[in-house]
Amino acid sequence: MISPTELIDARSLAGSRVVTPPRVERGKEPLVLGCFDYQRPSTLLEAGRLLAGNDGPAAVLAGGTDLLVDIRGRRHDPRILVDIKRIDALRRLDVDSAGALTIGAAVPLNEIIERAAIRRTFPGLVQAAESIATYQLRNRATAVGNLCNASPAADMAPILLALGADLMAWSPRGERTIPLSSLFVGVKKTSLAPDEIATEIRIPAPEPGLRSGFLKQQRLRGHDLAVVSAAGTYVSSTGVLRLAVGSCAPTPLLLEPIEVGRSSKAVVEEKAERAVQAAMRPISDTRASADYRRAVLPVLVKRLVADLLAEGGAP
Amino acid sequence: METASVPSGLTLLEFLRDRLHLTGTKEGCGIGECGACTVLLDEKPVTACLVLAAEADGCTVETVEGEATDGQLSVLQRAFVETGAVQCGFCTPGMIMSARGLLRRSPNPSDDEIVEAMAGNLCRCTGYEAILTAVRLCAKGGRR
Repeated sequence: MISPTELIDARSLAGSRVVTPPRVERGKEPLVLGCFDYQRPSTLLEAGRLLAGNDGPAAVLAGGTDLLVDIRGRRHDPRILVDIKRIDALRRLDVDSAGALTIGAAVPLNEIIERAAIRRTFPGLVQAAESIATYQLRNRATAVGNLCNASPAADMAPILLALGADLMAWSPRGERTIPLSSLFVGVKKTSLAPDEIATEIRIPAPEPGLRSGFLKQQRLRGHDLAVVSAAGTYVSSTGVLRLAVGSCAPTPLLLEPIEVGRSSKAVVEEKAERAVQAAMRPISDTRASADYRRAVLPVLVKRLVADLLAEGGAP
Repeated sequence: METASVPSGLTLLEFLRDRLHLTGTKEGCGIGECGACTVLLDEKPVTACLVLAAEADGCTVETVEGEATDGQLSVLQRAFVETGAVQCGFCTPGMIMSARGLLRRSPNPSDDEIVEAMAGNLCRCTGYEAILTAVRLCAKGGRR
């Protein structure tokens, strides 16, 4: 039996024989995703048991827009997928009376985008969600999933870092609050334990007059990952500017807060630029060179700071 | 209503095409990036290649086969034909389903809304203008 690689190797064509693919019975075609078990628990407890079970490595399935692609690409080989979308507690998308926001793990991005109250209070959060993928994918992809996948370019990370969000993690051992600043430990690595399920993002109630924004540099308009990204919040009453950047280091980075005080916009922009330049550790990859990232991210940050500090602008 | 027993690893796209023989829905990339496999899952446009058939248990699934009635093309389909929005036709079912999802949730969408709704569907043939015109034609008021 000649393997596909041998078939396309010109050196092996000499003396080769024609191979007919084995006849596959209709209905018995090999599956593109391979074989695994699928369970859809209705409680966290059931989900926890399945994840901790002994039938081989398990993976949590929410939107599946990263997981199924990784399985198809053979970068991940779980034996069981635990679908959390029917667990009611994970579908919460609540803004409380003070404006604090809870985003459950099973909430698709489009739901966040379509909630007017969230757009009013945290426009940067909605801008980040809107920048992700396509409309179809945003009907499945989740914010929690974006964080757990922990790409250095994760689009929900910078704004959630700037907003001081926490990720709640549940396991049979109990519940844990993980400040986002401690979640990302490496490229596609989080501090979640294998038996932990990320259940929700909690964003604290906004200070009065909180402004927020997100800018993403892409190669093209439409569906693309971030070449570099920047998010920030600013509260004029306290004069504190918080910035976070993405796709310029192994993990998304939260920068030290900047006290704006009575400084001019130009001084603040310069401070922010220097902070970004000092913190970023970009690489060259298929999307951009490290030099390009070093050149563009400070510009993005300057624009973001200008927007956030603009007098009389919308939040 | 369809009832079936399926392997866990079977995608909704495979289920529709290989088990139900509804081959209107196409596979373009298999990783959610091209939109050729767009269907409506509980009335929401999704890429069927990234949905497990098992996940669709208890949901409604609408495919392009449901557009025409008694062999008559829908208004949306006719608009695609009339504006030249169909060349090779491979992206068309996905385009139709994205447009159908849009028009249902927003019967009179703005041009920006239309672009955002259709941006997840790639076309190598037409350059998109004719497709956007077709969708605009079907917006309430039928503007070009």
